[in-house]
Amino acid sequence: MSAVYALYSSPDAAQRAVNGLYAAGIAEADVIVMSGEPFEAQPFAHRDSATWLWYIACLGGSIGLAFSTWLTRMTELAWPLQTGNMPIVAWWPNMIVMFELTMLGAILATVLTLFVTAKLPGRLPRLYDPEVTNGKILVGVENPPAAALPALERALTAGGAAELKRS
Amino acid sequence: MSEASSRKMSDDLLRPLLETSWRFYALVAFLGSIVLMGLCTWAYQMYMGFGMTGINNPIFWAFYITNFVFWIGISHAGTLISAILRLVNAGWRRPVTRCAEVITAFALMIGAMFPIIHLGRPWLFFWLMPYPSNRLIWPNFRSPLVWDFFAITTYLTGSVLFLVLPMIPDFALVRDRTTGLRHRIYGMLALGWQGTPKQWHRLESAMSIMAIAIIPVAVSVHTIVSFDFSMAPVPMWHSTMFGPYFVAGAIFSGIAGLIIAMAALRKFLHLEQYLHPVHFQNLGKLLLLMSLLWGYFVFAERLTVWYGNESAEIAVLRVTQTGSFAPLYWTMVVVNFVIPVSILSIKRLRTIAGCVVASFGVLVGMWLERFLIVVPSLGHKYLPYSWGHYRPRPVELLITASTFAAMCLLYTLFAKFVPIISIWELKVGEQEPHETAQERSARVLGEAHP
Amino acid sequence: MAHKWGMAVDLDTCTGCGACVTACHAENNIPTVGPEQAARGRAMHWLRVERYWEGDFPDVRLKFRPVMCQQCDAAPCEPVCPTYASHHTDEGLNAQVYNRCIGTRYCANACPYNVRFFDFFNPQWPKPLHLQLNPDVSVREVGVMEKCTFCVQRIHAAAIDAKAEKRELKDGDIKPACVQSCSAKAMVFGDLNDPESEVSRLSRSPRGGKLLEDVGTLPKVTYLERQTQV
Repeated sequence: MSAVYALYSSPDAAQRAVNGLYAAGIAEADVIVMSGEPFEAQPFAHRDSATWLWYIACLGGSIGLAFSTWLTRMTELAWPLQTGNMPIVAWWPNMIVMFELTMLGAILATVLTLFVTAKLPGRLPRLYDPEVTNGKILVGVENPPAAALPALERALTAGGAAELKRS
Repeated sequence: MSEASSRKMSDDLLRPLLETSWRFYALVAFLGSIVLMGLCTWAYQMYMGFGMTGINNPIFWAFYITNFVFWIGISHAGTLISAILRLVNAGWRRPVTRCAEVITAFALMIGAMFPIIHLGRPWLFFWLMPYPSNRLIWPNFRSPLVWDFFAITTYLTGSVLFLVLPMIPDFALVRDRTTGLRHRIYGMLALGWQGTPKQWHRLESAMSIMAIAIIPVAVSVHTIVSFDFSMAPVPMWHSTMFGPYFVAGAIFSGIAGLIIAMAALRKFLHLEQYLHPVHFQNLGKLLLLMSLLWGYFVFAERLTVWYGNESAEIAVLRVTQTGSFAPLYWTMVVVNFVIPVSILSIKRLRTIAGCVVASFGVLVGMWLERFLIVVPSLGHKYLPYSWGHYRPRPVELLITASTFAAMCLLYTLFAKFVPIISIWELKVGEQEPHETAQERSARVLGEAHP
Repeated sequence: MAHKWGMAVDLDTCTGCGACVTACHAENNIPTVGPEQAARGRAMHWLRVERYWEGDFPDVRLKFRPVMCQQCDAAPCEPVCPTYASHHTDEGLNAQVYNRCIGTRYCANACPYNVRFFDFFNPQWPKPLHLQLNPDVSVREVGVMEKCTFCVQRIHAAAIDAKAEKRELKDGDIKPACVQSCSAKAMVFGDLNDPESEVSRLSRSPRGGKLLEDVGTLPKVTYLERQTQV
């Protein structure tokens, strides 16, 4: 079989199971957790490296700023038409367009990074149970070594209130 | 929360998607026919010529620009509720955020149609976009209308993304609850969402950044819309106060629109357990605050004009306060300020019904306010020989009515295909109050670590 | 030095006859909109004669002021046009490019003089009136803005003639239709950059003033009228 997992009704039980799996020798990255809502209180929610999203958003904003500065200045010089006694390269109006494109750059960079780091859009992995969206928390291991199987199952059921499943 | 109540929440909030009554079809047919009529009217206007409207010399902007500003104003609902309340961690926002964000997205789309509808040659609207054409011609970045294009594009993109990103986990929920074609479609929309902690973490980080980014964009959008007026040397348009004035008015009308939408959803989708009177009371307090703020801005602007006694501005002031526009002006004051402040400041009257009544008044009043900013000033510019009158014609009335129908239609369709209350966010709100992660970890692992 | 076209209108001489308005219509292919549209405020008189009554009978005075596009040096109609359809030329004119206009009508709102006009419908010239159209001037279609151009087609024609004859333009070579047809010789057109031209001289006259000068548009039409001591 390719995966063993259990479904838990309470986040505490899920956390105990995760700890049991660590104790059974499974590496942190191999323990799969899925839930229908985020559980910020639990340690299992904080396993991943900190996100660089802020810096990437700022980078996106800088790109937007550079692009809009270039666009406004270049187009105003490419078609130097005098209007209303204003200078050809009019910085006050340009700043408005620059602000908007800066924010657009930050927003698009954020969303793009989210999609890339969360691997969206993606295909549902084989290890998935529709009960996850029903409020259950899934904790499991994909491709467990056959020898370790009984130990894993003990770890998963030790937390209590679990449905053990295989797929 | 317990499993049973979590399941019930999902059931209740998915019922509008999974069960359809004849009333839905009747409503869609009714609204759809009005929208269709509006589209035909627009086609008629394009074919027969813009002279079919009531526009004349000197009143070159009237109903369509009023509608434009009005709908862009309504779109500020989502941002305020969603982004600001998210940033200050106000829990009561949870059932309300998606209702609000949907209003923003659709109001923006409708509002953005009007700069095209009001063009003399609408088929050339794309000349506002800076695309590299063969003739090497570019738009004029000094024009507030080009600023409008960039602002609305940015805000629309940001709002739609802000709306759509938290919908992904809910699409996963619907995917798991349906079969057949619906399962496949929602599966595609869910983008393969699994719900791993990493995905949740990334999603919440992205939402925080978007919330921070969307607030200045929203403020800038309506400021730039106000610049359409304040940049022109027209009496009572050329006011430095227009930026904040318009933003305050936008938030004001946005909250009113949101209250009405929420009340309708609560009644027709039976969401009494999720949209509580306290939500309406809180929004009612915000509406009261914005009404007072609006009154403050109107007073400050008119006092300045009256005191300054500049003849061209006084002419416009007079025609709104005591002249031909006086009935509209005083109606606006009553429904925007007198009635809402009276209803919303008395706790016994700040019920759902009271908030809805006040909100309807505010929508009427804010539409009138936009109209009274645009038309009286244009009709009374510097040279009295060229003053003029305006009367709307059927095409303008029909197109205006059809946009209200379009908003209702889009909203109805959205509530049918997407859970109108963000289910996962509501569940997060129901989670038991918790210690810090370290405390909890120590408690859970208490046996292993002495 | 480049030309800077300007005009001077003597209000003390103007009789309000309206020949200038008629000539402008004829020269620039301006349609008449009909009584119903005119009643709705859509008449398109690029040049209009404003009439003011002052005082009570029998001490009534009648004043006429021909108002056309002032070709402002700081024109508020120019920066607001999103497509550069309204911009300033090197010779000081405010150009209106019909092909580039998408009809936002922002320029008309920004103009304090209300001298910009919108084509609400496609103009009609029932036969045989179509024969009167001036081939030097385009016929505008529905949805675009138009206004007085100081008869730019005549300016160009005179410049071409002068170049062909290998000479400079003289003061008085160019007469827009209104200037040409004024029965009282109240209107003068010329180069403001030429200090010797009549229009330059008149713009320095103590009787001279600008319309809505305090709005800051820097208009190039000087109105001459007797200043009364109050």
